[in-house]
Amino acid sequence: MPDLAAARRRPALTLLKRTAVLVAMAISFFPIFWLFSTSFKPVDEWASWPPVWVSRHPTLQNYRIVFFPEAARTFAEAQKGSLDYKVSGSAWRAFGDSALIATASTALSVLFGTLAAWSIARYRTGGASLPLQFLSVRMFPPIAVVVPIVAMFSVLRLSDTYLGMILAYTAFTLPFSVWMIRSFIEDVPAELEGAAMVHGLGRFRAFLHATMPLIWGGLLATALFIFILNWSEFLFALVLTSGKVITVTLQVANYVSASSGKLYGVQAAMGAISTLPVVLMGYLIQRHLVRGLTFGAVKR
Amino acid sequence: MADATGAGRAEVSGAAGGAGGRRRTLLPRVPFNLALVLPAQLTVLSVALVPTLIVIWLALTDWQPTSGVPWWRAEFVWFWNFYDLWYDDRFIGALLRTLFVVTVCLTVELILALGLALLFLDEWPWRKVAVSIIILPMMIIPVDAANAFFMLFNERGPVNHIISLVLRRDYNFSWLSDPRWALLPIMLAEIWQWTPLMFLLVLTGLMNLPQNQVRAAMVLGASPARIFLKIMLPLLTPVILVALIVRGVETFKIFDPVYILTRGGPGAATETLSMFMYNGAFVYFRMGYVAAAALLVLVVVLTACVGLLHRLERHA
Repeated sequence: MPDLAAARRRPALTLLKRTAVLVAMAISFFPIFWLFSTSFKPVDEWASWPPVWVSRHPTLQNYRIVFFPEAARTFAEAQKGSLDYKVSGSAWRAFGDSALIATASTALSVLFGTLAAWSIARYRTGGASLPLQFLSVRMFPPIAVVVPIVAMFSVLRLSDTYLGMILAYTAFTLPFSVWMIRSFIEDVPAELEGAAMVHGLGRFRAFLHATMPLIWGGLLATALFIFILNWSEFLFALVLTSGKVITVTLQVANYVSASSGKLYGVQAAMGAISTLPVVLMGYLIQRHLVRGLTFGAVKR
Repeated sequence: MADATGAGRAEVSGAAGGAGGRRRTLLPRVPFNLALVLPAQLTVLSVALVPTLIVIWLALTDWQPTSGVPWWRAEFVWFWNFYDLWYDDRFIGALLRTLFVVTVCLTVELILALGLALLFLDEWPWRKVAVSIIILPMMIIPVDAANAFFMLFNERGPVNHIISLVLRRDYNFSWLSDPRWALLPIMLAEIWQWTPLMFLLVLTGLMNLPQNQVRAAMVLGASPARIFLKIMLPLLTPVILVALIVRGVETFKIFDPVYILTRGGPGAATETLSMFMYNGAFVYFRMGYVAAAALLVLVVVLTACVGLLHRLERHA
């Protein structure tokens, strides 16, 4: 452990360091605290002055509005006049659609990614240029390809469909899965597969029986990582759908009333609920996050 | 086709022991290993290469979906879109603003990350818990994080409340509707969310540093500051480079916080490139014009990346 000389033996400095860590923790946590705190506030505390930090009358109303259409309707009627409330879509639909799209494209991305990564890692398919070609997909801004994708999808009748979204999400997470899985495969010596082939197994079965058992953990981490990316994606969802398909991120952005701006409490409730699963998944793969977000370049 | 040429090169680079050729590979069998990359390749080509071809066509037309003409029969205007872009202050503004945001965010993120990582070098109780809390921001859905910042910087939000408490008078500045200040919450949201990634990267790099040099310097009586500047920082350079490239590419695409916080407003005061293109395509429906901008951005980004990667490879 490289430690900066005798710094830790000086109590004043130690105190300073601990304070800095505490401040960093507070800043990291504060916006999330505010999101959760707002999700329990009744309507008159959403934007009151001075702002309410912790609700004095905590309520589950916002969560009820998110999940039960009747609650949303009652709320809309009660607020008529003062707050022009619009419910667009239901959160259940959003969760269902997001789960379907994210799961399907994650499965495809990991499957295609594993095959490609195996080929690249073991047979150097495409030399140095093919992996970079995959990587380049992740480099240009998605908004730059969104316009032609809209044009293409309108011809293929893929706009506002699950298939279109799955296709887009698969393609734009493939760079991650190819590079991440490749780094996992390269951690396993190729000699293992070679030995299995010497013993008479075919190439595919050699991979399945020699390498696969050693990279299961890595594959699972990759899948979770890509699921998080898909679940959190916003731009494609915004542009490629128009009402028939709704993702959770779209639904979060949907809680806006026509006259008075955002519905803070409801939006916060939806935000809290939608972000919770990916936060848990993130902590599950904490060890691999660095590897994932740097395309396998930095390992722990 | 790209595959066939690539496969030819595969053996060359394998024999010459190219970039990653140190690791032993298995003997290639051409149709087999090509078939393996095919599904991934086809998916990427259909959603990345085909649109790139379409965008070249669209960039030369004046396609506006509202006019009812399908895009393949849109009016051909040659290079007028590019001419217009060159004289479009809004586009140039968005470009410069994006570069500004990238520079500021990366600098602040890197400095914060380095400082934070140094605090986590020695072992202390609750260290793991502290790391987990500090990296929480990067786990949050970006749209939700942006929403949280929208509430924080609201006129009646907690940021103004804290300032009011300090000033001891009501302070109700509306950050997001002031052209001069609206970019600040956006950048803060981006910095808040992604400093943890930088921090994790730098910390990983620091933990993997070879111990001998640091110890030797300590024994020789070098000051902590000197050890950090002369030994640790140079050894960290590769990790920092990777972090800067990854974050730079991502920050250049910045969209979610801009859309949620301001949608590029007030006016065009916070319009980044992505927001400019979104507004152009889906608010003003000038698809041809946006396609031209997109093509420019694609060319610039790809050139920059290819150049960067080549340089990196030569260093590695």
